[in-house]
Amino acid sequence: MRVALLIALKDLKQRLRDRSALLVSVVAPLGLALIFSSLLAGTTGFHAEYVVADLDGGGLARVLRQDVIGSLVEADIAVVTDVATESEARAAVEAGGTSAAFIIPAGFTLAIQSGQPVTIEIVGAKGSDLGTEIARSLAQRFGDGVVAIQLSVATVANLADGPLDPADQGRIVGVAAAAPPPIALVDVEASLRQLSLPTYFSASMAILFLFFSAQIGLVSLFEERRQGTLGRILAGPVRPSTILLGKILGGFTLSVAAMTILVIATTALIGADWGPPVGVAAMVVGGIVAAIGISSLVVSFARTAESAGAASSAVAITLGILGGTFTPTSQAPELMSTLALATPHGWFMRGLGDMHGTGASIADGLPAVLVLLAMGLVTGGIGMLRARRLVTPR
Amino acid sequence: MSEVAQSPVVLAARDLRKSYGTIEAVRGVSIEIREGETYGLLGPNGAGKTTTIAMVCGLLARDTGEVTLDGTPIDVGAVAAKAGIGYVPQELAIYPDLTARENLAFFGRLYGLGGARLKSRVAEVLALIGLAGRANDRTDTYSGGMQRRLNIGIGLLHQPRLLLLDEPTVGVDPQSRNAILESIAALGRHGMAILYTTHYMEEAERLCDRVGIIDGGLIRAEGTQQELVALMGSKDQVRLTITGDAAAAVEAVAALDGVASAGAKGAELEILVEDARGVLPRLLDTVERAGAIVRGVDVVRPDLEAVFLHLTGRALRDSAE
Repeated sequence: MRVALLIALKDLKQRLRDRSALLVSVVAPLGLALIFSSLLAGTTGFHAEYVVADLDGGGLARVLRQDVIGSLVEADIAVVTDVATESEARAAVEAGGTSAAFIIPAGFTLAIQSGQPVTIEIVGAKGSDLGTEIARSLAQRFGDGVVAIQLSVATVANLADGPLDPADQGRIVGVAAAAPPPIALVDVEASLRQLSLPTYFSASMAILFLFFSAQIGLVSLFEERRQGTLGRILAGPVRPSTILLGKILGGFTLSVAAMTILVIATTALIGADWGPPVGVAAMVVGGIVAAIGISSLVVSFARTAESAGAASSAVAITLGILGGTFTPTSQAPELMSTLALATPHGWFMRGLGDMHGTGASIADGLPAVLVLLAMGLVTGGIGMLRARRLVTPR
Repeated sequence: MSEVAQSPVVLAARDLRKSYGTIEAVRGVSIEIREGETYGLLGPNGAGKTTTIAMVCGLLARDTGEVTLDGTPIDVGAVAAKAGIGYVPQELAIYPDLTARENLAFFGRLYGLGGARLKSRVAEVLALIGLAGRANDRTDTYSGGMQRRLNIGIGLLHQPRLLLLDEPTVGVDPQSRNAILESIAALGRHGMAILYTTHYMEEAERLCDRVGIIDGGLIRAEGTQQELVALMGSKDQVRLTITGDAAAAVEAVAALDGVASAGAKGAELEILVEDARGVLPRLLDTVERAGAIVRGVDVVRPDLEAVFLHLTGRALRDSAE
């Protein structure tokens, strides 16, 4: 173990002098996390501005304005401004900054109560498709409710076999409007288990580049062989397995240091919320073990440092893409989400997400840690067996 | 009997053999080196010197044979016993991004040195190899000669019982080469057993108590320089400097009566003859007839080069190139 530590320390000293290792392990992932977070800041939540021209002022118009459109304000999704005329509403949309305008025509309430057709006009702004679509959906939903009320009134009138008294008609409208909808949507707060964008990009870039720093230890075996130092070590009182252990230890230590710096730096610089420290530490260790294990297996098939580096990089990028380090799997097709679970990247991101949200705890991240460790130990075990040829006297 | 001849055997290698596919690189080499003795393995490139050294230090698995260091078997798995060996490979084996001090300290620790002992040994070796003034500079800023000296220094840092030097002066400038040879001579005087491979006859003559002449994976002869020269009997060595077709001249003189063997090294013909005085006129005439012009004639005392020619029928340096 003493000799393995010596080799690991020597490797670390070399890597610290080699700026490219620092670049790959820390600067690149940190820089990309900062860039992505800055570029995509503000895109996490939808926000719109609407204007409403209530030209009716009746009871149902107020319901539409306050209960339906007003719900957007309560949900902090939109700002709603009232204007007095249709032209003001159109002008606001034309001027920009307003996503859409609701124009509630005069006679709106009366028309509904009398079963007459009525139109809510939505004026959408150019380039605000989503905002306009939400406005249209709200109006449509309200319209569906109106149709149900009108159907109720018509049914009662038909049964009464004659025109209804206006007081009765108003009462029926009230009862119909108060009836619970046949289908109700319940907010399951799924989004609470997702990482914020700064956290997502910090974690995804960290796990992506972890695969580059994890391979450094074993790939350096090829360099040692080329410069003759491997033969020199093997000629000394050192077991081949000790050399492998030293290389792994060096890569592990470098990776732990890099990940620690990344967690602290992204938390401080872009407000990443990695989760509970103990859980994050376990996830990081699991990720490093998986990265070293898979890198070892890939490197064990190589014959030169160049081919080892190229193969490891190709595998790292491929697994990164499949694992959702470039695009959250929650926004990808179902197949991608499934494929992500075949990668350590996917489990790393999932594990961090599992430790976020209401009621979540470190234990929720444990399955992901176990999967990462298993991935690393299995692939690393095979990789080490194969890598013995790199350090065995011939 | 000399002092060395009475000292204990440090290295005993017996019947070492190694093949790569159908190529037999080493075909039964046996070497014995005593404490304080410097043994030279003299032969051209491809003779089997490096393969022999790699088997001796357990860096290469042998097909057959055995190696002992102070009686302890050495092979690729003999981890502890390897601590008694210092290995200086033919190619540089140093870390270019570490300083000389860091290189020495790393390898010293691998061999179990530490603390004050390591510090003092590093200082001693730096002084010995003349790098004390550049000890804290990265070795990729060194000249080739300085790197070579560090390469040697690492091998002797832990004061091994046996030092294996595989052509340590290849590619070294004359000044550094001289310094290296002086350092190695000093090590031998301090009781270290040394196995030194070279294809430079001068180095073998200068450094080695005994020399083994190796060619084609076999040791053709071994002994002190005097013993090896004596193998040639009463033969004389004639050296002709010529212009013209050296190969044709060699072929022509080799067929003469009284010529034991002939070889060429560049513009020089190395010819072993039974009686230089009797053969010389015919030699000169034959060379001229072969179309070459003789520019110089030397009849010299036979040396190891002549012994190699005598044993293999080829000039050492021509074989090396």
